Amino acid sequence: MEIYLPLLVQGLAIGVLTGILYVLVALGLTLIYGILHIVNFAHGEIYMLGAMAVFYLHVVGGLPLVPTLAAIVLLSVLLGVAVERGVFRSLRGQWLQLVVASVGISLVIQSVGWIVFGIQEKSVPSYLPGIVQFLGVRLPRERLLAAGVAAVLVAGLYLLVYRTKAGLAMRAIEEDEETARMLGVNANRVASLSVALGFVLAAVAGAFVAPVYSLNPGMGLEPILMSFLIIIVGGLGSITGTVLAGLLVGVLQSVGAVLFGAEAAYGIVFVVMIAVLVFRPAGLLGQV
Amino acid sequence: MAFLRQDPRLGVKAVVLAAVLIALVALPPLAEPYVLHVAIVVLINVVYAEALYVIMRMGYLSFGHAGYIALGAYTSALLATKLDVSVWLGFLAGGAVAAVFAWLLGMITLKLRGIYFSLSVFAFAEVVNAIFRAFDVFGGPAGIANVPRPMFFGTRLNSHLGFYYVVLAAAVVSLAFLYRQASTRFGFTLLALRTRDTEALAESVGIAAARYKTLAFVASCFFCGLMGAIHGHYLRFVSPFVFTFFFSTDLVIFNMVGGLGSFWGPMAGSVLLTALGEQLFAAGYYKSLVYAVVLLVVILVLPGGLIDLPRARQAWTERRQRFSKAPVTTAER
Repeated sequence: MEIYLPLLVQGLAIGVLTGILYVLVALGLTLIYGILHIVNFAHGEIYMLGAMAVFYLHVVGGLPLVPTLAAIVLLSVLLGVAVERGVFRSLRGQWLQLVVASVGISLVIQSVGWIVFGIQEKSVPSYLPGIVQFLGVRLPRERLLAAGVAAVLVAGLYLLVYRTKAGLAMRAIEEDEETARMLGVNANRVASLSVALGFVLAAVAGAFVAPVYSLNPGMGLEPILMSFLIIIVGGLGSITGTVLAGLLVGVLQSVGAVLFGAEAAYGIVFVVMIAVLVFRPAGLLGQV
Repeated sequence: MAFLRQDPRLGVKAVVLAAVLIALVALPPLAEPYVLHVAIVVLINVVYAEALYVIMRMGYLSFGHAGYIALGAYTSALLATKLDVSVWLGFLAGGAVAAVFAWLLGMITLKLRGIYFSLSVFAFAEVVNAIFRAFDVFGGPAGIANVPRPMFFGTRLNSHLGFYYVVLAAAVVSLAFLYRQASTRFGFTLLALRTRDTEALAESVGIAAARYKTLAFVASCFFCGLMGAIHGHYLRFVSPFVFTFFFSTDLVIFNMVGGLGSFWGPMAGSVLLTALGEQLFAAGYYKSLVYAVVLLVVILVLPGGLIDLPRARQAWTERRQRFSKAPVTTAER
């Protein structure tokens, strides 16, 4: 079989750029899982809302990009706190009810999305048109921008979790909630913070992919599916594991799509997940 | 029927059950086609919901049962359209294929804690859907058209009425099995695996928990595959856009809204919501919205589901009496 090498390298590069955006979505899930021990199925819808907010505020409303992003961050913090207080808090400790409730929230957002936004696909013009050529690899600038922003956010999250007091509180709750509470950590506030942060990451990821894909209220399904595969491969609750697995899944999917087609690439990623579950059930870097 | 005799309320239960069965058998010839259609959809959904209940009862959550239903529907549809196999055999083959795939995935994932299972079943269903969409052998995005109805003594069951009895028979047999299963040694063992602590306890007395859980999942998916095959032949086409994530979540919603406390919970949930959903069918996304809102309200306000309503009402009244300023004796006669 003859494979055109530059195409493969191209696939690899696109894979890394896509992977880092998956990382952004999956990190929010990891963060929420670490604190609340639930997998938030509504995450893909927050990503969709981020993209839709860009369309309605920036494209339709004519708001410049930076205020739009600020508005998106603010709205997702509010939504995150509202969801945590209104739904997650009263169900704490019942994982089945929590997961089902997050699915309920996801369905509410998505069906309201279809009703309000309509079935018409929407598109957002590129923030940064043009193509960068480097060693025979051609990459759209907007993808580089999105990946750059994602990398900065991931680094910021690392600093927040490992270098600040709020991060210390999060890690304390994750490790031993009872002791952390006794030492004066406000568990409710930490829970709100982590859900809000997770929502911000997802919404920002959505905002930066808006020019790449066409938008519809069902667009959250693919990133949420990839994120689930990523957090299983990386290990539930492990931040570094999520980052590595996200890049790996992005590359596998992109290179797999070049070699075998997009749907078969899903199959490949799925097989990797099964292999991880068989040989290393806790994930690459997770602890049981 | 020794197991029935142990129930002190046998008389009432048996009379109600017999009355419902007689009504389900005798009334349809009088009903309009639309009513028959709703009845068929309700029966199919009840079996799906009760099949899912087998694993929800042991504390496992699946957002991928539509994948197994799709496997059943596609197997039977392909056998009938491409290989001209008898539809009746196709039904069983549909169940069998779903069961084999359930066994393969269950072996790997059911050893792990609940959430890994939920996520991998979800991923499995999405991959199954993507594969059915991608390859022309499976009909691609258009699906498979002209799926035939079964033959019955030389006539094809093309009328709603004829097919209704097929669905009814399959549903009654499946539900009887699923109901009976819950009160066997196997069913009680599943109940014991509900939490991590009780699972450890069960294993300590020599119960092979993983094997029981896998078997439960296989049974659950067998009935979904079987009913999925029947469903495909009812619709006369199968398409990847029928068996989506939303299909899976509907089944979870039926279970949660009805209540996980007893066998009758998922049945109540699926009958009520399917009947309601058929009324909202033309309203498109409003149906999904209504389901989701009902789900959230039930989870937050009535954790035991509709089946728990009498007990919850009693608890609410008691609480109101305790907190009300009026003397207890005059409250709520």
